[in-house]
Amino acid sequence: MSSVAITDPIVGELQDILGNEGVFTNKSSLYNRTRVPAPFPVHRWNQLIPDAVVLPRSAEEVSEVVKLANRHRIPVVARAGGTGLADGALPLRGGIIVDVKLMNGIHEIDLDNRTVTVGPGINMLKLNEELRQHGVFYPDDPASYPCALVGGRIGTSGWSLIGSRYGHTRDLVISMQIVLPTGEIVEVGDGGGRKLRKSSTGFQLKHLFMGHQGTLGIATEATLELVPRPEAEFSAFFSYPDYDTAWRSTGAMTKSGLASLAGVVLFDEKKVDYLRRDDEAYIPQPDNVRCVVASAMYGTMDEVKPAAKRLMRIARETAANYLGDDVSQGDWASRHDRYATPLHGRNPDGQVVPMCWHCEDAAINYTALPQVTREWHAIVDRYIARYGIFDDWGMFAYTSGAHKPWGDYLVEIDVGIWEQKLNEDTWAAWVSCKREIAEVALKYNGSITACHGATREGDVELVPGEMGGGFDVMKKIKRALDPNNVMNPGKYLLDQAYDPEP
Amino acid sequence: MLGFRLHAQRAPDPEPVIEGVVMRLEDIYEIDPAKMEIIKQQDMPVWDTLRIVNSRWDHLEWMHDHFADSVLSADDLGSD
Repeated sequence: MSSVAITDPIVGELQDILGNEGVFTNKSSLYNRTRVPAPFPVHRWNQLIPDAVVLPRSAEEVSEVVKLANRHRIPVVARAGGTGLADGALPLRGGIIVDVKLMNGIHEIDLDNRTVTVGPGINMLKLNEELRQHGVFYPDDPASYPCALVGGRIGTSGWSLIGSRYGHTRDLVISMQIVLPTGEIVEVGDGGGRKLRKSSTGFQLKHLFMGHQGTLGIATEATLELVPRPEAEFSAFFSYPDYDTAWRSTGAMTKSGLASLAGVVLFDEKKVDYLRRDDEAYIPQPDNVRCVVASAMYGTMDEVKPAAKRLMRIARETAANYLGDDVSQGDWASRHDRYATPLHGRNPDGQVVPMCWHCEDAAINYTALPQVTREWHAIVDRYIARYGIFDDWGMFAYTSGAHKPWGDYLVEIDVGIWEQKLNEDTWAAWVSCKREIAEVALKYNGSITACHGATREGDVELVPGEMGGGFDVMKKIKRALDPNNVMNPGKYLLDQAYDPEP
Repeated sequence: MLGFRLHAQRAPDPEPVIEGVVMRLEDIYEIDPAKMEIIKQQDMPVWDTLRIVNSRWDHLEWMHDHFADSVLSADDLGSD
């Protein structure tokens, strides 16, 4: 659908639904709900703003807004924390931003059945502060943990830093209430029963509404998993003289079968070089610290203590050098901090320049990690040499299987981009760089993204190729659920669902 | 309140640590000012630098406590 300007009468209709205090059309409200933390085409910012922002307080209000959007054929884009890195919350065609931040209540804590039911606007850190008094924990731990919201985690099908023990968002959301693109309010889970983790009734609809980047509906309530608050945390960081040794050691740790192992992450040589620029944990390290593997465990004391001993033994047997308690504990505790990257960027002359952070992520099998690492760096090096506004911040490979820390990895290459220098030519170069990176992931039978979603240009063109016949199914589902294409139009190439039949 | 005046608490001259990194106060690393010609380094009194560093340790302590009741160190594990 094409964009339809929101007129004063439509604003009036929105105010009838939400009250004057729930509708905003002023410039700061609109612009602030467009920007995302990933590299952003700032030179086109004024083409990417909504016409109105609404802040509903209930599913019924969301439903009425969506029905209004269908009547007037106006785009609707859901937005939670705005921390996503794949543009899910970015309006491509104006319309109405449905900001769910005021739907941030805790509706029910069921300690017997180990669930908590919340609004989509609640943040995990704030939720866990409330849960602590009950001795339970909601273990969804993204890098954006202090600021991401549950609704965005559902829209993205988020990935958790401790997912190898506890699972990722799709494993931790038991059921959801969804406002469909035509305004109906439905409950979806694994079959029926809001608090049931396993059912064989009907289609498994919960997964359909995970990771759709706002194209299939708006989550208005979620029932989440509760786990016992961990008694013990153990983190250990190890150094290695080269990548291959670190890679083999990573494989040994992740195949250990230790159930309390929550995550293992391999930093490559370029990542360690980057960290030596201004990170207090890495600046003092001797030159033979070329690669680092970090690990973390959570659970009861009786689980973690013997498991940690076993992990340390595996590390010793695979040529790891323990970096000490200060680095291990301090760096693990700061795992969320690099989300907001300050002035780590360098131009080709080595000068500090303000760069934004792009992390191109993929899902890659263990055996392909060394080759993908080499090829990704070679791609970025070419673009650095040619354009001078990019900076290679290194790569990491992080255990990605839910409850199973072996086999497949979230692999990221972090690239600094001197955003102030972006114009149409350099933005096109960046998109081309991204596309080359994603093509390598597919070449090695990986997936474009393990974590963020593949809706950005440079990624999205490759989605039909990755999905194969599944992309036609996506289009049929989109057209069936959203006949007027009001729900986040333009994303995931789903406009193709509305093309006339040849 | 002399401590809140910049000139009263100026940090010592920087000493090189590694390429691109200097140190003025013990265990507090700074990017070499020679690398900060485009983005100028902020001139800060010692008390403010220490405030930021100390609050960073507070933050890390808070994060440990937020996620688990206790943190095991390698020494806590005992010998094999």
